[in-house]
Amino acid sequence: MKEKIKGLSRGNQFLNKELANRKTGVFLTAAVSVVAIILSLPFFSWISIVNIPALFSKLSITREMAENLFQGYSLFNLLSFVQESKQGSLGLYAMILLILMAAALYFNVAYALKIAFNLKGNKGNLGLYATGQTAMLFEMIATAATAGFVIFANYKFGMTGMQASPVVYILFLLSLLSFAAIKLLEAEERALYKEHGLFREIQKNWVLFLMLVPTFIYFMINNYLPMLGVYYAFTSFNFRDGLWASPFIGFKNFDFLVKADLFRLTKNTILYNVVFIGLGNALQIVFAIFVSQVTVKWFKKASQTLMFMPYFVSFVILKVLVYNIFEYQYGLINNIITSAGGGKIDFYNTPSYWPVLITLFYLWKNIGYGMVVYLATIMGIDSEYYEAAKVDGANIFQQIWYITLPLVKPTFIILLLYALGSIMKGQFELFYQMIGNNGTLYNVTDIFDTYVYRITMTQPLSIGLGTAAGLYQSVFGFAIVILTNFLVKRKNPEYALF
Amino acid sequence: MKIKKNTSTMIFNIITYVMLTFGAIVCVFPFIIIVSGSLTNNTTILTQGYSVLPRDITLSAYRTIFNAPKDILQAYKMTFYYTIVGTAIGLMMITLTGYVISRREFKYRNTVSFLIYFTSIFGGGMIPWYLMYANVLNMKGSTFAIWFPALMSPFLIILMRTFIVGSVPEAITESAKIDGAGHLTIFFKIVMPVLKPGLATVGLFLALGYWNDWYRSSMFSTSSKTWELQFYLYDLLNATTALKQMAQSTSISTAELPTQSVKLAMAVVATGPVILFYPFVQKFFVSGITVGAVKG
Repeated sequence: MKEKIKGLSRGNQFLNKELANRKTGVFLTAAVSVVAIILSLPFFSWISIVNIPALFSKLSITREMAENLFQGYSLFNLLSFVQESKQGSLGLYAMILLILMAAALYFNVAYALKIAFNLKGNKGNLGLYATGQTAMLFEMIATAATAGFVIFANYKFGMTGMQASPVVYILFLLSLLSFAAIKLLEAEERALYKEHGLFREIQKNWVLFLMLVPTFIYFMINNYLPMLGVYYAFTSFNFRDGLWASPFIGFKNFDFLVKADLFRLTKNTILYNVVFIGLGNALQIVFAIFVSQVTVKWFKKASQTLMFMPYFVSFVILKVLVYNIFEYQYGLINNIITSAGGGKIDFYNTPSYWPVLITLFYLWKNIGYGMVVYLATIMGIDSEYYEAAKVDGANIFQQIWYITLPLVKPTFIILLLYALGSIMKGQFELFYQMIGNNGTLYNVTDIFDTYVYRITMTQPLSIGLGTAAGLYQSVFGFAIVILTNFLVKRKNPEYALF
Repeated sequence: MKIKKNTSTMIFNIITYVMLTFGAIVCVFPFIIIVSGSLTNNTTILTQGYSVLPRDITLSAYRTIFNAPKDILQAYKMTFYYTIVGTAIGLMMITLTGYVISRREFKYRNTVSFLIYFTSIFGGGMIPWYLMYANVLNMKGSTFAIWFPALMSPFLIILMRTFIVGSVPEAITESAKIDGAGHLTIFFKIVMPVLKPGLATVGLFLALGYWNDWYRSSMFSTSSKTWELQFYLYDLLNATTALKQMAQSTSISTAELPTQSVKLAMAVVATGPVILFYPFVQKFFVSGITVGAVKG
């Protein structure tokens, strides 16, 4: 025991020795990072294919197919081999490897850059060490998982068809060593800033952690674990192989989507949302101003209450309403038209009416909600502004234009940014209840959410396609959020979403 | 000068009252159609169509529903069950989470907040989510799959945190801690009692969500025994449409189908409680939206 401590402290001394004003350990671990980055480049194959004739005949890979294949693979092009091997579960594994590899690469680059430019956070080098540890941890996991992949693949093939190259083992050892080294360096720095790690934190505040356990389980089941399922987007599902072992087909689902429905779905989803955001906010502001100007108390309360009411009914009720008003035989509108002597309109078979109708019913349901938000902002405006404006002879329209609207602007911008963040998310319940399974209207009313829902409920064999559509929607939407947030942060950090 | 000002104010006031009256009517009008349709004799609907005011007033549609109330009572019972269980558990979890991420001494509060917020900007999509419950957890047909997915939402957690920060001053919890109170004591004895408006608001948002849901029944229910009320109504509407088409092509008698007025009466019955409580609970939603919007 004593020997060990002695050895540790000697190692510590060595790592902490100053070299050009920096610690030796930092340089050493940075070197490991650089080596890891270089070895991750696609020129170095991590996995090599052996026993080629036997393996190819086993996987029934023909001569022409074999021309596209290599002898050695890095983790980046491994999927192309897996695609030919027709082993579904290998695809999932290779995909996870790719993600691990990307994470390791990202953190290694970050660590190396932080050292190169000598970046320090508000707690000295603690941030740097955290990055370094994460980088080394991912490198370790990625290399170990690669070794595991080879074993798993050989087991699946039923023969030795793959071999992990020495690079993998060397990188594993190197990253393990530097992980330990950074830990040692960190211990010193932590004492300096009186910081401690997760373990001490749990010991100290275990009640708080315990309180979060149900929430953790909920978000794991409902949000985070399903994210693994995006893998289905790269498979062609069949019942025999099941969800995880169906053949891996790369981006074919996406190719199909691009050819078939992607443009229409994207256009519909975004256009509807743009109209909803624009018209919705404009009307909400206008009506909030109206309500704020009413002096008769009961009228103010009644109008607000009544306009907020549609928000509270379910979308199924909305379906009943729409049906009653626009139905061909007995619908209210056709009723009025016929009693006025006109010819009936077949709403449910005429697509051109529906964009307008959907927008109208969206507004009907949501005006009250947004009005409440804007009303709160308007009520919060200091009445002295208006008094001063009145003294200066401003009429009511000028007061609204020069006082109310500018002061409502911040609320509008916040709501706008939130809405932009979910511009790829469709109003599923609204669309589905209004249109349902009425195929004649799909061209102008189909959005991602209804498209995916239909696949889920009626076409189990297309779930790969449906997942691909959902994944595209998620990633595109996410990119828009990040971009918006980045631009807003640069222009005016106060409005940033996160 | 003075006259001019008054004219503009008067014009504006006229516009205001006209527009608000118009807006209120547009918002309420569809409800009136439903109610009057449900009170109208079915043959009148078939011969003359729907109208704004009821004609040939009759309660026969409601009588039909309550003569054979087994299905609708079952749907009502299940909806109450989901609403109560979901709201109770969800509210507890949301409050605990809101408490933890509002504590200064909790080092990872920003990380946890971000992980919660992240779920609202990125997700795996509907199919992986559906397969998680249906295949991985094998919960298809269970009641769990209907109440569990709606327990919490990022919006409600952040809203609850805002309520907690706003209603429990840091000084009070600090002094309680100095007196030796643990987190559990602080949470149940200090935070919960002053948090009643927040609990009511978040609870009502949850309850409204459960009451109006039809979607999870459509995905996870395997028998009509576990249907939510709104899905029961939805199925009734759809079944009628489908049966009507079948009846037209095969000339079966349509006498057995739920009539138009019965469907409308069903809609009234399914919405009843929401509209009944609406005037009393409205202010909680208003305060929730206001608080949530201000803090974002």
